[in-house]
Amino acid sequence: MPDLITVAVVDPGAATSEGRDEENAASRASFLKRAVVGGGTLLTGGVLIGGLPSLALGAKSAAQDVRILNFALLLEYLEAAFYTEAEARGLLTGETRKFAKVVGAHERAHVAFLKKALGSAARSKPQFDFRDTTSVQSKFQSTAIALEETGVSAYSGQAARLRRQTLPAAASILAVEAEHASWIRDIVLRKPAPRAFDKALTKAQVTNRVNATGFIVG
Amino acid sequence: MSELLTLEQVDQDGAIREAAERVEGDSRADFLRRAVLFGGAFAGGGAAVAALAKPASAASRNDVAILNFALTLEYLEAAFYTEAVRKGALSGRTLEFAQIVAGHERAHVAFLKKALGSAAVARPRFNFRGTTSNAAKFRATAAALEQTGVRAYGGQAANIDADAILKAAVSIFTVEARHAAWIRHILGQAPAPRAFETFLTMGQVLAAVARTGFIVAAPPFTGKHT
Repeated sequence: MPDLITVAVVDPGAATSEGRDEENAASRASFLKRAVVGGGTLLTGGVLIGGLPSLALGAKSAAQDVRILNFALLLEYLEAAFYTEAEARGLLTGETRKFAKVVGAHERAHVAFLKKALGSAARSKPQFDFRDTTSVQSKFQSTAIALEETGVSAYSGQAARLRRQTLPAAASILAVEAEHASWIRDIVLRKPAPRAFDKALTKAQVTNRVNATGFIVG
Repeated sequence: MSELLTLEQVDQDGAIREAAERVEGDSRADFLRRAVLFGGAFAGGGAAVAALAKPASAASRNDVAILNFALTLEYLEAAFYTEAVRKGALSGRTLEFAQIVAGHERAHVAFLKKALGSAAVARPRFNFRGTTSNAAKFRATAAALEQTGVRAYGGQAANIDADAILKAAVSIFTVEARHAAWIRHILGQAPAPRAFETFLTMGQVLAAVARTGFIVAAPPFTGKHT
């Protein structure tokens, strides 16, 4: 994964001591150095967060970032498993087949990134049952659109709840989810960008949508 | 126009990026002095300076600067697509893209102007240098503009103070990403070429925009805001 987004996502100790101007002004070299340092603290950070007292509901905090990133991780597990299974079954054709392969690799990279960022605080992967949506081309396409649109709305709904230092990594994933949505929509001849302003969903709305799929079985 | 996408390649020793990083580190109040990065576009810069001296009531000076930065990019995109549709050189999927995206970019301009109120910068004058009257040049330029838009919004997201402004910016950001993937698909390029999008600082974006030569004049200073 590119070095630009290897930010220390879970880094509660450094959160308050560094202003964003200082961070912006920092040289690229020191930014990367800090990212490496951050990477080394991730595991400890995850443990520390578990012991933090709960803060005011909705207030930005390291603990809230962990909850949001674990919510994102659930969606990424779902997407990665969906595309990986579709590719493995080998029944897709044409550009749809290529889409599944490329996007599957992206979603697996998102899972790996979030797991690393969360360290020991990362949730475990659920069991999925995608039924025939990974083997019937038309069902795969409509499911892919639904999953990608849900991903865009989900990350969008959480962006303003993340701390500044966590937001860029989430935004770098969000942009790619929007690209996926645009691509699969164009493949099935639906408008890739159907509106001038995308809509956000709350965590509860996203959870309802995910539950309604029945894909998570355990 | 392709240089928008090749900053890293042309700037191999990192000099431009280092300069941009230093610019980013300056105090927010100095933002308008940085408009010199437009290559003289704001040479008359009175309108823009006057605008920032009077920030929108609810927004911080920092957020006003970021919104005006976004508004400048949206003015550029809206003018580009509107002119391309009007000139009539496009057809098929490219024309459909231009028509729809033009509507989106004009909606973004209208939204940002309304959000900024009297603090909104005026629209510069543009010269798109033949890129709106040739389909191949249009597609390449559109791909570069949309990619730059994504990287500009993404680069500013964490700098925004007010959550309400951040939410609005995010709702535009993802639409720019859809545009970028769409035009790449039309071009036969990979719509989603990487797993993680990379972003640019404000200084990097302004330098890239300056190099296009598309902004040819600051708006005349009339003493009032648009």
